[in-house]
Amino acid sequence: MIEGLAGFVAWLGAALIALGDGRRGLGVGVAVSTIGIAVLVLQGSGPVDAAILAVGGAVATIPGLRSGEGWGLMPAGSTPRLILCIGGGLLALWIAASITTGGGVALRFAVITVAGLSGARILSSDGSPVLLTGVGALALAASAAAGLGGASPGPWPYLVAAVIAGGSAWLRPRTASAA
Amino acid sequence: MLPEAIEVLVMIAAVFAMALAFSPPAPRRHLLVKGGTGLLGTAAIAAVPTVDLAVLVLLGLAVLDAAAGGTRSFAIRLRLPALGVALLALALAFSRFAGPDTLERFAAVGLAAGLAAAVGVVPYLHPFDPEEGASSSPIVWIAFIGPVLATVLVWRAHGLLSADAGSAFGAMLIGLGLINMAWGSLGAWVTDNTVTAWRYSFVADWGLVLCGFGLTIADGQRAALLVVFTIVLGRLPLYLGSRQALREKTDTGRPVNLIVGAVLAGAAPSAGFAARVLLLRGATQLYWPLALVLLLGMLLWLPGSLRLGRSLGRPHGRQAIGIVIVVAINILAGLYPLPLFSAANL
Repeated sequence: MIEGLAGFVAWLGAALIALGDGRRGLGVGVAVSTIGIAVLVLQGSGPVDAAILAVGGAVATIPGLRSGEGWGLMPAGSTPRLILCIGGGLLALWIAASITTGGGVALRFAVITVAGLSGARILSSDGSPVLLTGVGALALAASAAAGLGGASPGPWPYLVAAVIAGGSAWLRPRTASAA
Repeated sequence: MLPEAIEVLVMIAAVFAMALAFSPPAPRRHLLVKGGTGLLGTAAIAAVPTVDLAVLVLLGLAVLDAAAGGTRSFAIRLRLPALGVALLALALAFSRFAGPDTLERFAAVGLAAGLAAAVGVVPYLHPFDPEEGASSSPIVWIAFIGPVLATVLVWRAHGLLSADAGSAFGAMLIGLGLINMAWGSLGAWVTDNTVTAWRYSFVADWGLVLCGFGLTIADGQRAALLVVFTIVLGRLPLYLGSRQALREKTDTGRPVNLIVGAVLAGAAPSAGFAARVLLLRGATQLYWPLALVLLLGMLLWLPGSLRLGRSLGRPHGRQAIGIVIVVAINILAGLYPLPLFSAANL
C-alpha cells in the first residue's frame, strides 16, 4: 500500500514539474517527487540511501520556495503538458504493472514517469529554473534506476544524484554572450 | 577501469596538453580551467564502477558545460546532453526489467539513441554556432567527452543486454554509423562555412566509430579504437590549429595542406587508413554488401578533407610544429598500431 502510494507521489511531483512555470511550483514538484522516490529507495536500499536522496531533494527545494515567485501551475497553453502527464503516467503504469513481471512495480513506475516527464520538460522549456529543476528530478530518477536490479547499488548513485539535484538548483548559469 | 577507456582517456589528456602547449598565451588560463574540468569529468566517467554512475556524472558534466556560458543559450546547450541522459536512464531501467525479450530491445534502442544524443551525432546534432570558441562549442562533446563515453557505454552494454538484444544494439549502431558517414562527409563537402565543415567532418568520423562498435568482432572494435584515435589525436588538434587561419580567412594549397587533407581523408599510411582497412575486413567477415556500402561512403571523405586541409592556411611557428607532431603521430599509429590494440586488450 505504502509502495503504491509512494509511486503515485513520485508521479505527482514529476507532473508538478511538467505543469509548473513558477519557481515555487517547481520547488514543490521536486520536493514531492523526492518524497516518493525516497520512500521507494527506503524499502529497497535502506535508510541511509533514502536519507541521502531526501537531503539532496530538500536542498533542491529551498531556492524555489525562497524565490517569492508564484506557483505558475498550468498556465495558458499547458494542455499538451497535462495530456503528457496523464498519458505518460498511464503508459508507465501499463509497462510497470502489466508488461513487466516481478516485484518493485512502484519503483519501475516512478523511474519511468519521473525520468520521462523531467526529460520532456527539459526538451520543451527555455527557462533556466525549469531546466535545472528538470535536471534535479532526472538525477533522482536515474539514481533510483540503479536500484532496479534487485541488489542495492550502494550509496554512490544516490550521493551523486543528491549533489546534482541540490547543486543545480542553486546554479546561476551565465547568459549567452556574443562571439 | 576498462582498458579501452583508459587508453582513450590518455589520448584526451595528451591532446589537452598539446592544446595548452601550442595555444596562444591569452586564452590558455580559460582553456586550463574549462578543459581541466572537462578532463576530470571525463576521467570520472571512465573511472566509476557502474554505468549508472557514469550516466549521472555525464548529467553533472552537461550542467556544468551549459552553465559555463558561450554564444548559445543555456537551454540549447543543456537540452540534448540531458536528453541523452534521460534516454540512457530509461534504457538502463528497461534492461533490468523482468519480462518479454522486447523490453531488452527497447533498452538497446535507448542506449543507441542516448549515446547519439550525448555525443551529438545524427539524429541529435547539437546546435552549432561557427563563431563560438572551440572550448564552448559542441566539439567538446563530439571530440573530447564523447569518445570516452561511447567506449564506456558500448563495453558496459555487453554486460547489460542479452545476446539477442546485443545484436540489435550492434545493428542500430551500424545503421546510425552509415547515416552519420553520409551526412557528415556530404555536409563537410557542400556547406558554405568552413568551421561548420569541420564539425561535419567529426560527425562523419563518428559514423566510422559507430560502425566499428556495431561490428561485434575484434576487427570492428580495433577499427573503432583507431578512428577514435584519429578523432582525438588527429582531427581535434588540427581543427584547433585551423581556428586562427579561419579567423584570418587564409586558404592555401601548399604541400602541407595537401598532406593534412590526406591524413584527414584517411589516406595511407595514416591511422585513418589502417582503421578503414580493419573496418572493411570486419564488414566482409560479417556481411560483404556492408563492406561495399562502407567503401562507397569512405570515398566521400576526399573532397571535404581537401577543403579542410586548405583551411589550415600557411602554418608557421608553434602552429607548424603542432601540425607536424599530429601528422607524425597519425602516420606512426597507421604504420604500427599494435601497441594501441594490445594496450586495450584487443
